[in-house]
Amino acid sequence: MKNRLKVLRAERAWSQQDLAERLQVSRQSVNAIETGKYDPSLPLAFRIADVFGMAIEAIFLRD
Amino acid sequence: MPEQTAPRRKGPNFWWGLFAFNMAAISGAQIFEWIDRTTAYVLFALSLGVLYPAIASAGRRMREHGVGPAMLRYNRRMAIASVLYVLGLGIAVALYKRGVLGPVPSFIIAMLPALPTLGMIWAMARYLVEEQDEYLRHRATLASLIGLGLVLALGSFWGFLETFAVVPHVWSWWVVPVWAIGMGLGQCWQKVRGA
Repeated sequence: MKNRLKVLRAERAWSQQDLAERLQVSRQSVNAIETGKYDPSLPLAFRIADVFGMAIEAIFLRD
Repeated sequence: MPEQTAPRRKGPNFWWGLFAFNMAAISGAQIFEWIDRTTAYVLFALSLGVLYPAIASAGRRMREHGVGPAMLRYNRRMAIASVLYVLGLGIAVALYKRGVLGPVPSFIIAMLPALPTLGMIWAMARYLVEEQDEYLRHRATLASLIGLGLVLALGSFWGFLETFAVVPHVWSWWVVPVWAIGMGLGQCWQKVRGA
């Protein structure tokens, strides 16, 4: 699944570590999600949406 | 007034190096017959005490690098189980070599290395339960499934060769080391493909 995490993170000048701390996950998790190697569970996707203050479908896109 | 700084603690490399040096020195002394086997084993058992600061300093280093609490607990449990395994196996082999034992003592000495091995399996199970980071849990689960696949594949392959007398018998405790090798390969494979 494609996502806009990298762009959204860059807009806020957050590092992967910054986002990981906000989500309470490891930096590896953020990297794997951002590069599309791992699709997050629905609860984690909701946490990501909450951190960016956006809807899930505005962050995660269909292939 | 000169600034006071806290004394620098020894890192894990120092303690692991000291442990390796002790092992090499004891083995060398035993090979050259400067000490007998029993003395070597007692010295070896005493040297295991070095593992306590080694494990503690490794834990500190991992915490500094942001390793999560579940992984820290897993490492501590595996280290304790490994030390008990080495001790248990050494004692069991030493007792077994002293002469033929009855079924009950044989069962008890067989448990000395078997129980720590079960402890290692329990530590892995607890890690999968306690890890809160779903991606790391996913990676560990995948690696353990790869390990299990290797155990099943090699076990079936070897078992049939053994049935038809092509290869010698292999003791079944090998399943845990093979599983661990498979897990290691699984983690490496995931790292290589960038997952």
